[in-house]
Amino acid sequence: MRIFFSFALFFLVCKGFCQQPEKLIPKEAVSVFSLNNASLFQKISIDDLINYDFMEEIHQELFDGSTSGKTLKDAGIDLEQKLTVFYGKDKQYEVSGFSFGMKDSSQLFTVFDDFQPVCTIGEAKVYGSFFNNLVISNKDALLIRVEPLITYVDRITDSIWFAQGNENPFVNYFGPDGDIFNEQEFDENEESQSNHFPNAFDDPNMKNYYEFRDSIESNLHQELLDRLLNDLFIEGISLPTVNKYFQEQIQHTSDGIFFMDNSRNINKANGLWYFQTILPTLYEDIREIYDGNIILGDLSLLEKSIEFDFKVLYGEKLGSIYKEMTASKFDKNVLRYIPNTSTGYFTYNINLRKAYEKSYEVIMPILEDEKNAQIAMNVLTIELLNELVNKDALFDTYKGSMFGSFHGIKKVKTKKIEFSYDEETFDYSERIAEAIEDMPIFTIGFTTKRSDIPEKVLKHLSRLTSQLKKENDYWCFENAILDAAPLYMVNKNGLFIFSNDVDFAKKYSEGYGAEALSAKKIKAIKKSGFMYANFDVNETINRLPSDFFTVRQEEFLDAFKGKTGAMELISNETNNQHTKLKLKYTFESTDKSGKHLLDLINILYVVSK
Amino acid sequence: MKKISFLLYLLMGFINTSCIEIIDDLMINDNGSGIIKYTINLSSCKVKVNSILALDSLHGKKVPKIPEIKQKITAFKMHLSAQKGISNVLIDENYTDFIFKFSCNFSSVQELQTALQLSLAKITEDKSIAESEAKWIEWDGSVLTRSIPSITSEKVKQIDKKDEELLKQGSYTSITRFERRIEKFDNEKSKLSKSLTALMLKVDTYSLKENEKLLENRIFLAKIKN
Repeated sequence: MRIFFSFALFFLVCKGFCQQPEKLIPKEAVSVFSLNNASLFQKISIDDLINYDFMEEIHQELFDGSTSGKTLKDAGIDLEQKLTVFYGKDKQYEVSGFSFGMKDSSQLFTVFDDFQPVCTIGEAKVYGSFFNNLVISNKDALLIRVEPLITYVDRITDSIWFAQGNENPFVNYFGPDGDIFNEQEFDENEESQSNHFPNAFDDPNMKNYYEFRDSIESNLHQELLDRLLNDLFIEGISLPTVNKYFQEQIQHTSDGIFFMDNSRNINKANGLWYFQTILPTLYEDIREIYDGNIILGDLSLLEKSIEFDFKVLYGEKLGSIYKEMTASKFDKNVLRYIPNTSTGYFTYNINLRKAYEKSYEVIMPILEDEKNAQIAMNVLTIELLNELVNKDALFDTYKGSMFGSFHGIKKVKTKKIEFSYDEETFDYSERIAEAIEDMPIFTIGFTTKRSDIPEKVLKHLSRLTSQLKKENDYWCFENAILDAAPLYMVNKNGLFIFSNDVDFAKKYSEGYGAEALSAKKIKAIKKSGFMYANFDVNETINRLPSDFFTVRQEEFLDAFKGKTGAMELISNETNNQHTKLKLKYTFESTDKSGKHLLDLINILYVVSK
Repeated sequence: MKKISFLLYLLMGFINTSCIEIIDDLMINDNGSGIIKYTINLSSCKVKVNSILALDSLHGKKVPKIPEIKQKITAFKMHLSAQKGISNVLIDENYTDFIFKFSCNFSSVQELQTALQLSLAKITEDKSIAESEAKWIEWDGSVLTRSIPSITSEKVKQIDKKDEELLKQGSYTSITRFERRIEKFDNEKSKLSKSLTALMLKVDTYSLKENEKLLENRIFLAKIKN
């Protein structure tokens, strides 16, 4: 998959104008990214390209011994044509690929030298390698990979395997006398360990479980591929013929376009598996809420910035919830609590009360129709809570608006144990000393109309633990952060604010005053809709300590490192049909935006792999 | 020396030694028996330790949860207590400041090494530890030879180069005590106590990474008076 993604990204940077590339995008594609403007990449050398993470494997695949020293043009790819990358997944299979223009097929096959002719479908010629298929129709090419999901393969395999009267091929949970092994016995029993995997049968004509599963997988793969290619090249069914939004979006003349069908994407949501399997009717009803939830995007490459304009479309039900949710007045109070020196900050402004009421109105009838005892009990519980809970107090305490800011890394004082030695005997004893450790400093706050409620909670908690104390006009919870550093809480001016910044608690509990955000930054926030985020890539990403992140998060941060500029996310407009968002990456270096776009693609690769 | 090396094995895999303080305290009686005490102090970086313990994995390795660490320590204690020549095994675990203290009595240094090797191999499920013939301590009644176990030096070598500056803040202190007077010793960096019966050697973890022989020493004792 990584290699395939490398292929896709590799060619993504070499896009161009294609007559009708959309004809080669299967209807199964859930997300599509297409670039229209190739000129930016024309001056970027292959040597530069291969330094990117996403080129690591493609470089080995394409430019192995026989193609050494060749350029993309030498590979027979028509750089004047558009390149489109797509990906899709459902409960049975995963499909990914990209389409590109072809100039010289003989040159192309010096690069794709592992592909052999397989068959012809209509006018299209199909070539295959171990994992991928290359389909050439006139001057358009489609590189595609279809893989049945292992869960689907297992399900089919198990069904046939057991139906044929075979026993469980994996483990023997039973001892010689029929007793079930307990876990420890089983783990330590060498004989049972050796039975962990099925052995080949004595009869070479009989398949063991894994051989059988491989056959099923191969068969499913071929069946899925045939179906998909038949749709594309015989029936003429593709994403643009079945999805009017994509058909319209692919016609845009912006530098690039993005499409994601979120209504199908929610199939991937692990949290919904229960509904899918246990309550399929309810799942279908909930899924219905997401009908028409499609994300469309246009990419613009400017002199000093790259801009992504997103439009999130909603169906009627989801749109009505979002409309109510974003019908919120911006709380200007938060602005005084974000210092102008903050290198990353966000504001999020929603009306949780209205969102709750609309969700209740939309979702409850769906739940009430469900003929299921458990759901019926849940409906009863929700309805009782709705009647009995003081919603005024609840939603006045947390209205739904919040803000956050990153204040960089500061040295914080902690306690450590030191050992001191007796010079006479070298005996040693412990003593408490001060230690200094690095800590990322954050402030997060939310708007509240009922400051008395969190105050009440803190007051009673302080009677339970001596670690929580009221000091002047803020609360301090000792060792709350990683059992070592204090957390400060400020409850005033209609805001309840958490911070691990002692300076904020002691000096700025009324706000940063003249040191707060500049008028220009405030204007940008106010102009934005329900959401606004801004961070300095260099100052924020580079200052985050790697020790606090997982390997994968570190890789993501590393991909950002060394870059300069600012990321800004603005929500422009929300109604019951759509929300408009803009992501703007402004850079200060002299590199052309093509280089920055490659940087972003590289980040995308690191995130996706 | 590195008795509780298994803790190092557990901890050093995902915590760089920039903030670690290790004290290795060995008492050798004239008859070859003795007491070993081993202390690992991570209190100066408990923010980092807590943040790491909150992760599922780090640098591609699973981060054990505190109950798992406790379980390993208990198992190690149990295995070691059952070994020949080992008695009075004590392990003090402080998960607030992250200080771990281990001590046990031994009948001879040979039995101590064998017991530690076997117990560590069992806990880490690494047979190569049990099969290793490397000796990090030898005693002939008047001369004690010490070095650093390969498991410790290997772990130190694995530390990322970017952490080298921080490594200078970590320390390893090796103390060797005897019932009688020390006559001379090879390692010039050693410090002799005023009582002349104990020797201390303290190095930073960066230096130890650069030169694992820093802790090697041969200590010659005065003859036993009849």
